[in-house]
Amino acid sequence: MAVKTFAAIDVGSYEISMKIYEISPKHGMREIDHLRRSIDMGTDTYTTGKLSYERVDELCRILKEFRTFMDGYKVVGYQAYGTSAFREAENAVILLDQINTRTGIRIVILSNSEQRFFHYKAVAFKEEIFTGTIKSGAAIIDIGSGSIQISLFEDDTLVSTQNLRLGVLRLREHLTHLDVVPSQYEALLNEIIDSQLRVYKKLYLNETYKNVIIVDDYISAIIIKRQKKAAKGKSNKLMLEELLHACNTTPISELARILDVPEENIILLQISGTLLLRIMEMVGAEFIWAPGTTLCDGVAYDYAEKQKIIKPSHDFEQDIITCTRNISKRYRGSKRRGDTMEMISLTIFDSLKKIHGMGKRERLLLRLSALLHDCGKYISIVNLPECSYGIVMATEIIGISEAEQIIIANIVKYNHQDFDYFDHFAEQDELDRTSYLIVAKLTAILRVANGLDRSNRQKVHDIKAALKENELILTIDTDKDIALEKGLFEYSSNFFEEVFSIRPTIKRRDFLSQHKYAD
Amino acid sequence: MDFSHASNYSNRELSWLLFNQRVLGEAKDRKNPLFERLKFLGITASNLDEFFMVRVATLKDMVGAGMKRTDISGKTPDEQLKEINLAVHKQVKQQYNTYNRSLLPGLKQNNLRFIEKHEDLTAKEAAYVDRYFMESVYPVLTPMAVDSSRPFPLVRNRSCNIGALIKAKARSEEPEFATVQVPSLLSRIVTLPATEITTVILLEEIIERNIDKLFLNYDIICAQHFRIMRNADLNIEEDETEDLLEEIEKQLKMRQWGEAIRLEVEAGIDERLLKIITDELNLDKEDIFFVDGPLDLTFLMKMYNLPGFDALKETAYRKPVPVPGFSTGTDIFAKIRAGDILLHHPYQDFSPVVEFVRQAASCPSVLAIKQTLYRVSGNSPIIASLAEAAENGKQVTVLVELKARFDEENNIVWAKKLEQAGCHVIYGLVGLKTHSKITLVVRREEDSIRRYVHLGTGNYNDATAKFYTDLGLLTCQAAMGEDATAVFNMLSGYSEPLNWNKLSLAPLWLKDRFLYLIDRERRNAAAGRPAYIIAKVNSLCDKDIIEALYRAAFAGAKIDLIVRGACCLITGIKELNNRITVRSIIGNFLEHSRIFYFENDGNPEYYAGSADLMPRNLERRVEILFPVEQPDLIERLEFIFAALLADTVKAHILTGKGTYEKVDKRGKKILNSQLEFGRNAATFTNKKVSPERKNSRVFIPQKEGNL
Repeated sequence: MAVKTFAAIDVGSYEISMKIYEISPKHGMREIDHLRRSIDMGTDTYTTGKLSYERVDELCRILKEFRTFMDGYKVVGYQAYGTSAFREAENAVILLDQINTRTGIRIVILSNSEQRFFHYKAVAFKEEIFTGTIKSGAAIIDIGSGSIQISLFEDDTLVSTQNLRLGVLRLREHLTHLDVVPSQYEALLNEIIDSQLRVYKKLYLNETYKNVIIVDDYISAIIIKRQKKAAKGKSNKLMLEELLHACNTTPISELARILDVPEENIILLQISGTLLLRIMEMVGAEFIWAPGTTLCDGVAYDYAEKQKIIKPSHDFEQDIITCTRNISKRYRGSKRRGDTMEMISLTIFDSLKKIHGMGKRERLLLRLSALLHDCGKYISIVNLPECSYGIVMATEIIGISEAEQIIIANIVKYNHQDFDYFDHFAEQDELDRTSYLIVAKLTAILRVANGLDRSNRQKVHDIKAALKENELILTIDTDKDIALEKGLFEYSSNFFEEVFSIRPTIKRRDFLSQHKYAD
Repeated sequence: MDFSHASNYSNRELSWLLFNQRVLGEAKDRKNPLFERLKFLGITASNLDEFFMVRVATLKDMVGAGMKRTDISGKTPDEQLKEINLAVHKQVKQQYNTYNRSLLPGLKQNNLRFIEKHEDLTAKEAAYVDRYFMESVYPVLTPMAVDSSRPFPLVRNRSCNIGALIKAKARSEEPEFATVQVPSLLSRIVTLPATEITTVILLEEIIERNIDKLFLNYDIICAQHFRIMRNADLNIEEDETEDLLEEIEKQLKMRQWGEAIRLEVEAGIDERLLKIITDELNLDKEDIFFVDGPLDLTFLMKMYNLPGFDALKETAYRKPVPVPGFSTGTDIFAKIRAGDILLHHPYQDFSPVVEFVRQAASCPSVLAIKQTLYRVSGNSPIIASLAEAAENGKQVTVLVELKARFDEENNIVWAKKLEQAGCHVIYGLVGLKTHSKITLVVRREEDSIRRYVHLGTGNYNDATAKFYTDLGLLTCQAAMGEDATAVFNMLSGYSEPLNWNKLSLAPLWLKDRFLYLIDRERRNAAAGRPAYIIAKVNSLCDKDIIEALYRAAFAGAKIDLIVRGACCLITGIKELNNRITVRSIIGNFLEHSRIFYFENDGNPEYYAGSADLMPRNLERRVEILFPVEQPDLIERLEFIFAALLADTVKAHILTGKGTYEKVDKRGKKILNSQLEFGRNAATFTNKKVSPERKNSRVFIPQKEGNL
């Protein structure tokens, strides 16, 4: 049957929701059911660091109900994700196992960057408006309960993404602790928000962005209602200003009635709106688009894409790469050096497909490692391995899970220092066996690439790799002297041989023969 | 202009009594066949019973609690009770006048001998009933005497009883009170062995005749009939109730013990006997009804079914016809895909709805069936199909409203049965009654998942669908399907969706929606644009809605209301210039559909739904209002409204004096709308849907060639 149904479950901090989609090559992806139920998982975790038994019990009850819905719709697959309430709970691993046994549903914890990436994917699913919006420069403002994410688009691609601890619930907490009356909220909020935004602006913002795309649980709904009436489906800054003005001048009960929002959400709506307005002012935006998408949409889109049912027109991998390039740029990495490293290592990776058995995702990790391979030198040239590792671990790369982040950090570290064997990692409990092997293989490749550009002068213009029995022949196209590279190649090739049982050798492409063939 | 003053509204209960009076009018109307008149009289009695158990009981509770809050018309509970009492006493008197002066003689003329008093039995008949008594009645009787060692027995709600004063033969003490319930398990109408004419007698007469056999060794001083009514409004503390099912079962038993609020006795009852009963039940003088005839006239509805009197029944009304295009074996899903289908019951039969659930239950492509059930018929085919669907592995969710008044017991039985079959049963919602009638079928089809929805104004009850006028819509519009899914998710306890497409829900925003739609007409009228509202409901009691209607009419909107029952809106307000009319149709079928029309400045909107315009419907019940948008279906609704407004036979007009009068037929065509609908039910077909809407706001330029 052509139509498949898929379930995406989002176990959030204050709500658990499930969306059922039908996915088909003909009609694409269509939401057919959406179930939401409030459950306060956040308070437990945020106050005690652990999720209580009662919450998990309640969660299991809802998940069991979800299960019957999934069975009813005969879903072919599902994906259940837990976000910050699980991410920050000390006892998450035990609980996830418990939940799996009791409900048959396996919840995977998302890192912040993965979560944001799904949100972003969900937005991008609304292709038509999305493509139009990002063309003229846009910032996606993704407002969560604990933090917000600002992602910037230039010329169709994502160029940077940054997490700020300005989530709505966090801000509300601040306000309640400050012991002030509601009339003072606006001024205080502005002050708190601005102090963080100033830093962000200084470090990350060079351009202005005409559009903002807002993803959140409160202000979006209001904007969606208004933008239905607006031309081109977008609202503008003036509308937001008017709305916030109304929030400040109308009694809460009246507002709740007019906006059709529960009274307790009014303050959150106000915070969300204020945040949005401050950011719009900071980036110079005029227009707002609220796509009204949720994490589940992104999850399903991702699934459909992986199952090859839907072919997105937007290149998400490119976003990850562009972001990484910008991170490299921030740490004064050379673009040319990065490109060369990328080119060489990918050529080797592709030529060894049958040997290393790794796939598309590992290829991406290699690319990112190549781009970030020496970022640590920004801090210390002597302590390059540790500093590179530290920078990668401290930097958020959108679309990358925590486990993948650890892999990249280790690759860039061991690119410059002797490799440690599995026992070392096992002791530190940092990498599992599979990840360890990925680190080893990708490090081996990156080291060869590094070896080929020893002088850091990008002597290699082009490279061809050919596997001949136990030898990997790397034919280099260069017009420069590569004596240094050849001489020191031994060091990097030893490790390569150890990992793959294949000896890499360098060959310089003969200029004369090149011309001969050209005739 | 302020219309909020109480003088602009009438009291709901008194208005309802006027409705019962109109039904009584049908019983009095000599133009109606005799047996129909019997039935109408029976209905008035049954209506009054319910009115007492719920409405009067509530008012008594309010008085008891010392509440002084006034109603919509400015009356305190105490004042209301007094007026109601007067009106009811008058009405009961009329019931028995009709019975004695008009109906009984009529029966006699038509060869039906109704033996009023057992003393009138012939010797032969007497011998028969005595034998019948000993064989069939005596074994199930439980006579109970009261003395110092035996307390006053439980006299069950709504049961007929024979109270007697008895005295031991050996001693000559004070007389004792004894009572025996007329068993409700036996037919109250006993037909005597066939002679040339049908002869019947009521069971209580037979018992009375043989009462000495129950109290041997006693002298019977007197034996007379009495009947009591108790406060029957279930008072369920839902918040403190763990299991609603158990609680309702418990409360149902308690209903028998509710405080007595009405006593009916034979006229001329022995004073001593009456005193014992009234003292025991703590009844006031005005709660006692002395009736001149049999107690509890609801038996007349049973009498209607006596064989051999078809000539005395209404035959002009046709049996439900099949919905055009439907026959056995019709693929209902294909039919719905071809276009929305409007069902008009009871003129068209209910089988497409039954079939809809039945086919869904066995169709392998169907993934899920969800339905709300409020009142279900005994042996309901829908319940059977739902159970079958669950057994076939489909996801079946059923909301059974346990709080459906007087059907609670019935519903518990079904609910348990469905649960056993594997359905997910929801027993209503805390604090709300689920009154909406909606069914959702989710089906996996060739290229996508498609949702089929049935929305109705009446219950999923194939029995009442034969005499309640209702509308139903079958559709597979994606927007309706999405909303229907959301409705069931909400009923299952999930959060409200972020967006609704077409449906309006009470208690969420349906009332606001109505107020908006009415106000839109007001604004149009004020701006000099055409403004017109037609609303057909069973009751109109919500003050906000009525006030909005007044304001719209004041601005110039024309408003035609078709309100079968209670209507708190009045028509005599001078400033409104008769722009509001109210009519009530009391026909052979019970008017039950709720439909609405809003002119909307030349772009009319039609809606139908489950909600009456009463506070309880708009604020304490889950109700659904749905639009009817397909041009051919709109045409049907236009026809329905036109016929209802042109009815000259069964329509009563609310006058400025607050009375209802039959339409003045002079110069008008004689038209009985219910007969008209019956005649047209078969001819209406679901025409092919034309792409352009009749009232489209898009101008179509004249082509050059056509000029």
